Amino acid sequence: MKNIDLITIKTNKPAPSFRWRQFKKNKPAYISCFILVILLFIALFSPIIANQEPLYVSYKGHTFFPAFSWQKSYQITDAKTGVIERLQLDITDWKRLPCDHILFALIPYSPGKKDYDNTNYKSPFEQQDFMDVNHTIVAMPIHFRHWMGTNKTGEDVLAGIIHGTQISMTVGIFAMLIASVIGLFLGCIAGYFGDAGLSSTRGMFWMLIIGLFFGSYYSFQMRFYDLEDALATSLTSFCIQALVSIGIFAFILFIFYRLGKLMDKIPFLNRSVSIPADSVINKVIEVLSSLPNIILIITIAAITKRSLWNVAIIIGLTSWTMIARQIRSEILRIRELEYIAAARTMGFSSFRILFFHALPNALGPAMVYIAFGIAGAIIIESSLSFLNIGVPLDTVSWGRLLNEGREQFSAWWLVIFPGFFIFLTVTTFNLIGEGIQDAMNSKHRS
Amino acid sequence: MKIFIIRRLLLFFPTLIVISLLAFIISINAPGDPLDIMMNASSKSTDGGTSMNTNQANTKDFWRKKLGLNLPLFYFGIKSLAEPDTLYKIFDNEERIALERLLNRYGDWEYIQKYYHSIITLSDTLSNLNNSKNIEDPNFKIDLSNTMNDIHILKLSYDDFAILNIIDRINGFIKSYPQLPATIKDQFQELKINYSSIKTNAAKWKNYIPSITFHGFNNQYHRWLFGDASTGTKGLIRGDFCISYTTKQPISEIIYRRLGWTMFFSLTSIILAYCISIPIGIKAATKKGKLFDRFTSIILFVLFSIPTFWMATLLLMTLANPDVIKLFKASGVQPAEGFSTGMNLWDKIMASFPYLVLPTICYTYSSFAFISRSMKVAMVETLSLDFIRTARAKGLQEHIIIYKHAFINSLFPIINLIATLLPSIISGSIILESIFSIPGMGTETIAAIDAKNYPMIVAIFTLTGFLTITGFLISDILFKIIDPRIDFDK
Repeated sequence: MKNIDLITIKTNKPAPSFRWRQFKKNKPAYISCFILVILLFIALFSPIIANQEPLYVSYKGHTFFPAFSWQKSYQITDAKTGVIERLQLDITDWKRLPCDHILFALIPYSPGKKDYDNTNYKSPFEQQDFMDVNHTIVAMPIHFRHWMGTNKTGEDVLAGIIHGTQISMTVGIFAMLIASVIGLFLGCIAGYFGDAGLSSTRGMFWMLIIGLFFGSYYSFQMRFYDLEDALATSLTSFCIQALVSIGIFAFILFIFYRLGKLMDKIPFLNRSVSIPADSVINKVIEVLSSLPNIILIITIAAITKRSLWNVAIIIGLTSWTMIARQIRSEILRIRELEYIAAARTMGFSSFRILFFHALPNALGPAMVYIAFGIAGAIIIESSLSFLNIGVPLDTVSWGRLLNEGREQFSAWWLVIFPGFFIFLTVTTFNLIGEGIQDAMNSKHRS
Repeated sequence: MKIFIIRRLLLFFPTLIVISLLAFIISINAPGDPLDIMMNASSKSTDGGTSMNTNQANTKDFWRKKLGLNLPLFYFGIKSLAEPDTLYKIFDNEERIALERLLNRYGDWEYIQKYYHSIITLSDTLSNLNNSKNIEDPNFKIDLSNTMNDIHILKLSYDDFAILNIIDRINGFIKSYPQLPATIKDQFQELKINYSSIKTNAAKWKNYIPSITFHGFNNQYHRWLFGDASTGTKGLIRGDFCISYTTKQPISEIIYRRLGWTMFFSLTSIILAYCISIPIGIKAATKKGKLFDRFTSIILFVLFSIPTFWMATLLLMTLANPDVIKLFKASGVQPAEGFSTGMNLWDKIMASFPYLVLPTICYTYSSFAFISRSMKVAMVETLSLDFIRTARAKGLQEHIIIYKHAFINSLFPIINLIATLLPSIISGSIILESIFSIPGMGTETIAAIDAKNYPMIVAIFTLTGFLTITGFLISDILFKIIDPRIDFDK
């Protein structure tokens, strides 16, 4: 018996590389990884890839980098005449500026900015117009072409798609980040401690409950308006305020924890009670997963302020249940393994064992649901912007472009391209998810 | 079995309560005063909300009582000592928030209340002045309406700087028109004194003491859930979803009218999806690894990943577009001019057929892909079990093994899918119905969102939630009956 266990331990050791080899064998999934990297690259560098402001411009002896600068305008003083000229970055007509050198971005258009010479649905293949320096209409130079056409108001579709990549990726990944933090934490607690594992004394239990009440009261209910104001000003100030709130919460909880330690000295209060973490978390998961997800998201998105972060947070808060379930069942399996027992005998604390020893081995199966979840979140985000619910009105995203195409079916490029990008991204994540799933399920041939 | 059903029901009711609570929280957090939305929706003539004639005020009062908005929100409330019990009686959401923020900063309700009342009295006198007198001076008229607007903003402001700014402006107005009645000047002085006394008597410590108040059964949630005999509402529990803001009809009637098409498409698509996907799943499983299997699995995967709204737009663009192929109709469910008289049922079906094809395809294809894949997986798993090997060893014919032994056993997970499919199809209908303009629940939802008809949105959410959990309940119980070995606790 012991020998067999030793062998399994030995073969278990190079597990990650084995899984990775299995994953690589799955060609579609492996190719999807490359597509994902490209999509992430586009998302990350979208302001540099598609921008109407040039990357570099040399004008009247001055050098600027408009696409990289945070300034709203430049002031130029003519060396000879002393005339001051102001260049406001977002409305300057860069394409007709008489400058010495200019280097445009790969796609010299910004999303939501109109090209007045090519309004009313210009096809990618038809003749596109361009107004040159002398204000005469000529054929479009090749480097200013709208490669995927324009919409009704003359906005470049390709620029919209490139920025849409950023929006979809951000919403998908941010939503799943929230979902996985909640899912991993609750799944771990439920799986590792079960119904009997988490125990404390009566005094500590009640003190912690009272501490939770006071903590949430002082840090969140009382500071609600501070948090709301901070969110309205900027994301960084919101993060600072949120950290302050969490700090107050932790401090109050700590005080009550110390009080609970004191309570342990009282005979009646030092009896042990166990907290049924597993049943409680399981019930919460069951209740949440039987809610109609999409309708819930649409309903909340319809009444809250239009904001992409709101949409991502709503999606994240409603879609953690599958991850939690998966992690729970994995941890249930892992906690019976010998290395966990070994860690226990070495006297490591439960939380150290759970988060540093057990969790890393349970992450693989959860990755499957994270990948599927990102695909789902991207579909929900684009449906919302397709229906024009919850997403800010000036955001150019895939769903928004597709919705514009619905109004004019002869503009097929407004339907085909954005839809294809949604499809590509969703398929990429689905294929990666399936690849991980197959790699996890494949058995060792030792 | 009985124990199982009881335990399952024990989970059913908490979920219902959670759904109702969520719906209620959503409905009370909806922005704006519900009555303003209602008035705007019905009359369309808005005058900025500053001057409201008595008739409108009476109607507002009537609806407020009828909708129970003059009651506390919930059975109990957790708030600070500074916050009074009666804050819910200020109906306008934004005004209430402004007062709450003032409370949060200064903490003494007594003075804030005085300040609030002085604003209201001043605003009332000014609006009386505006309504009653024939004002000749056009400048004065403009200034007066500007000041009334200022006072309206004052009700909503909580920032110290903003409030002082507005008070300054009103002061300027009063100074520049000395012929104004003395009452206005007195009231304005009182307002100023009240505001400064808020600041001098600030008692921020009251915010630090939490207090719990109990309101009993006479609250909005209870009334919304169980109804109220005095106003004739029956409550959610007896199928009364309140009144639509836009049409003032009971929502349950509207939903009842709209449910038909949604259910028609959902059920048709589920039946169609099962009829097509089960044979495909079986065939793919028996020919695992062959050309058919590989081909279908790629097709199914692609279908599964195509977002429904893209598919719908593509179909409309290619098959219902006069420039390409005009095979089907783009919107609606039947001829716009209605059926001509003397048509029998068959003719009616044939007349509306071109309208129904594209929506049905869009409703069906994604669940079809999903069921086929699950069917294949289940079938492959069953075919690898021992009893199939035994059957083969016995020398049974292949089609008997597949259809009699393997098929029946791999059906269970597929049947269970109905429970998850139905709610997702109903939610998917929101997008599809708005694309194809089908007069169902989905278009109603979108219209409700556009018109800020919150009770409608909440009703639809509650209803779908109820349908979802009932579906889960029925499928779990059916599953237990079909396959008693299953244990949901594991």
